[in-house]
Amino acid sequence: MKMGMKWPLFHQSRADKVVLTEIVPAPIVPFPSDNTRREEGAELVFNGRVRGTEQGQDILALEYEHYEGMAEQELQSLADETMAKFLIQDLFCRHRVGRITIGEASLHVAIWSQHRKEGLQAMTYFIRELKERVPIWKWAILVSGERVPSECVHRD
Amino acid sequence: MKITVKCFSQVKYALETDELSLELNPGQTTADVEERVRQRAGKKLDGVLLRIAVNRIYVKEPRDLEDGDEVAFIPPVQGG
Repeated sequence: MKMGMKWPLFHQSRADKVVLTEIVPAPIVPFPSDNTRREEGAELVFNGRVRGTEQGQDILALEYEHYEGMAEQELQSLADETMAKFLIQDLFCRHRVGRITIGEASLHVAIWSQHRKEGLQAMTYFIRELKERVPIWKWAILVSGERVPSECVHRD
Repeated sequence: MKITVKCFSQVKYALETDELSLELNPGQTTADVEERVRQRAGKKLDGVLLRIAVNRIYVKEPRDLEDGDEVAFIPPVQGG
C-alpha cells in the first residue's frame, strides 16, 4: 500500500479489542463468522456439546446450574485475563444453563487472532480455566428421570 | 448475626436445599460455617473439596464473617 493511501478496510489495524461473555438460558446462537477481517488470520470456534452418557450411564439430558452473579463475574474476569495473557484480538463466549438435551451446545467460544498459535493457546487456556473456576455445575437427568449431580471427571 | 449459605450441586443434593440462613456469633469464620454445613450433610460431603466464596468472590483463607454475608461452598465446578 502506498504511503498516505487511506486503508478502506474495516478491521485493519484495530487497536480496540473486544471481549464478550454471556450466560444464556436458551439455545446458543453462534457468533457469526467474519469475512471482513484483514488482520486476523485465525478464527477459532469451539462448541462444547452434551454427550449421551455420564460416567458410563445413559442420560436424557444435562441440566446446567450456575451461581448467578458470581458465574458471570468469573467468566468475564477469565476472558479479560486470557486477553491480557495471549496475543489475540477478540474473544466471545456464550455458556448455556438450564436443561440441555444430548447433542446441543452448552458452550460456544470464538477467538480471533493474527496467527493460529496464539489463538489455539488462548482457546485451550480459556476452556481449561473455565472448567476450574467458573461456578457452573452439571446435573445428569438419568433415563429413570432421576436428577443427580454429575461426577464427570474432566480430561485435558 | 445472620448469614446466608448458598448451596449448589453436591452441597444442594446433600443438604436438600438451595439456601440456608444461619445465626452466627461475632468472630465466627467461614471455617466454622463449613464445619456446620459438613455436619449437617452427614457423610454425604466426605471427600468433597469445597472452595469458599464470600459475597460471590473466592476466598483462600478462613475469613471472619459479617451480618448479611452470603457464603457459598463451591464443589468442583463442571462448566463447559
